[in-house]
Amino acid sequence: MSVVYFIFQQTMFFMIPLLVVALGGMFSERSGVINIALEGIMTMGAFTGILFLNLTGGNMSGQGQLLIAVIISMITGAVFAMFHAYASINMKADQTISGTALNLFAPAFAIFVARVIQGVQQIQFANTFRIEKVPVLGDIPIIGDLLFKNTYITTYLGFVILAIAALVLYKTKFGLRLRACGEHPQAADAAGINVYRMQYAGVILSGALGGLGGLVFVVPTSTNFNATVSGYGFLALAVLIFGQWKPVKILWASLFFGLMKAIAAAYSGIPFLEGLGIPSYLYKMIPYLATLVVLIFTSRNSQAPKASGIPYDKGAR
Amino acid sequence: MKKKVLSMLLAGVMVLSLAACGSTGTEPAAEAETAESEAETAEVTEETTETASEESASGYELALVTDLGTIDDKSFNQGAWEGVTQYAEEAGVTYKYYQPQEATTDSYVETIGLAIEGGAKLVVCPGYLFETPVYIVQEQYPEVTFILLDGEPHNEDYSDYKTASNTMAILFQEDQPGYLAGYAAVKDGMTKLGFMGGMAVPAVVRYGYGFVQGADAAATEMGVNVDIMYHYTGAFAATPEAQAMAASWYQNGTEVIFGCGGAVGNSVMAAAEEAKAKVIGVDVDQSYESDTVITSAMKKLSVSVYDGIKAFYDGSFPGGSTTIFSAENDGIGLPMDTSKFTNFTQADYDAIVAGLVDGSIKINNDVADTTTADLTLSSAKVTFVE
Repeated sequence: MSVVYFIFQQTMFFMIPLLVVALGGMFSERSGVINIALEGIMTMGAFTGILFLNLTGGNMSGQGQLLIAVIISMITGAVFAMFHAYASINMKADQTISGTALNLFAPAFAIFVARVIQGVQQIQFANTFRIEKVPVLGDIPIIGDLLFKNTYITTYLGFVILAIAALVLYKTKFGLRLRACGEHPQAADAAGINVYRMQYAGVILSGALGGLGGLVFVVPTSTNFNATVSGYGFLALAVLIFGQWKPVKILWASLFFGLMKAIAAAYSGIPFLEGLGIPSYLYKMIPYLATLVVLIFTSRNSQAPKASGIPYDKGAR
Repeated sequence: MKKKVLSMLLAGVMVLSLAACGSTGTEPAAEAETAESEAETAEVTEETTETASEESASGYELALVTDLGTIDDKSFNQGAWEGVTQYAEEAGVTYKYYQPQEATTDSYVETIGLAIEGGAKLVVCPGYLFETPVYIVQEQYPEVTFILLDGEPHNEDYSDYKTASNTMAILFQEDQPGYLAGYAAVKDGMTKLGFMGGMAVPAVVRYGYGFVQGADAAATEMGVNVDIMYHYTGAFAATPEAQAMAASWYQNGTEVIFGCGGAVGNSVMAAAEEAKAKVIGVDVDQSYESDTVITSAMKKLSVSVYDGIKAFYDGSFPGGSTTIFSAENDGIGLPMDTSKFTNFTQADYDAIVAGLVDGSIKINNDVADTTTADLTLSSAKVTFVE
């Protein structure tokens, strides 16, 4: 049984950043702006968050420090995403190109600044945030072992964000307007919605969540930050598409990706899985194969926002 | 109006950046043609700097050009710099380090030139990134001496390897520190080990092979059986995959993992902190990076640099050849002062090092096959994870 708990706990480390970043991407795309800069935004968010952890390492520790780092990462991501918003909304630039520019810029910037500040590009941090066991809740059989042991506060934050995202998107005026801008901005404009403002909101939200995702990604998996998030921003895009731009489906998609990733990485330490003799390549391939298959079957009635990727032009007919 | 100014500025920046691209783009092509004239001008500048240094009667005789990081990177630069400082202080020689603008061959060559203009008679180049720069400068400045750490000079496309008579190339026999680490871990009472390498490049494979054979030797001596998990992550990066794999090994009972591949070690440390398990560091003493590091399979950079400089001043400089640092010349080892062993003592360590020195211990360091399938082991069982 402990193996199941272990796999589940490991899955969380993969899943939560994917979930949070994919939800970020969802806000942006549902407002009509493709955001492939998620990778770069994650890098920037992780960079400032980890830098904060590094600089305050001697004086602070524990959950308070992590929460401040979370806020810093979100602000960084939001500010960084504004470049993308400005280029693609105000300047009507090609959104793919502007996103790529941010992706190229982010790691270079992180390395440069880290070098200037401390001479070395790796930023060390002390991980004092792991929660061994949540009081009371951790004692519940099965569920306690699954969800409330060996975890991070950011895991719960991820689920809270999911709930809020679903509520905002479907149950608020803001969410309705945002979705309208992604489907038919001219109609939304005619109904009196400020399309530019909604798209800015979408991109900034995606930046904040992307930045958070970067921090969540790095904290449990390393002892330093080396200006990379190993392609997880792009993976989050795949999760977003696999999840058909819908919050709950994104949850399942990220769980699926996370589980497969965890099994592919951890199978060698689990006697049962190793006994099956399935090569690890297969586990590594499954999420991507599944994405391809899903795309094949859903491409005809894809749920992608209709106006995603097209710069909004007020005068277009 | 504002927009106009902004767009003008942007356009200006773009033109400038294009110009920058243009100049670097044409350089390599022009290089070949100007190589001869460059050599001549180099000689000329050489003469002028000589007279200049005669006039001022100073300059810095010993120079170190830093690799990617800075002088206090706790890695190659710092280790080499310690060797330089140690000799210079003892012998009363002037010394200085130079930091290149960027990590390109051109920039390295330029910085080495700068060091030589500054009066350097011997330039220390730490790290394999200097292989091509040293290949170029050893011909450009025949009267200057170079020490290249952890590499052998070769040209850009690896078609020609040449170590000129004014150059000393230093390589380390990685299988030996790996052997020591594996031996010490088993002697210390651990029977379930792990090896997580970066890419399967020769240096990493040698570390791994040494590690496995060391563990095997100790297990045979003690009459126990040892299980070793063995994996190359395929990159030198910290990833959740590496962390998850290490965590799963620890979960399955692995007591210590040799994290051998740059940032891969950091993922292993993260997993170890979680599982309250142990890690073996690599290349330099990594005990400062995490409390989980019980020892490190080290290359003694400062010793090798010190020896190289000393040989130069003693007139016995081994130029034109590659010197391999091993246990024999105290070029590798474990940092026993910072190691956290419970049963493995300094005396045990000295005994095993003596065995490596006198050749009674033979390590298979043939890296043609990287899967450890070609090793003959008596008490250790290796599970190779693809």
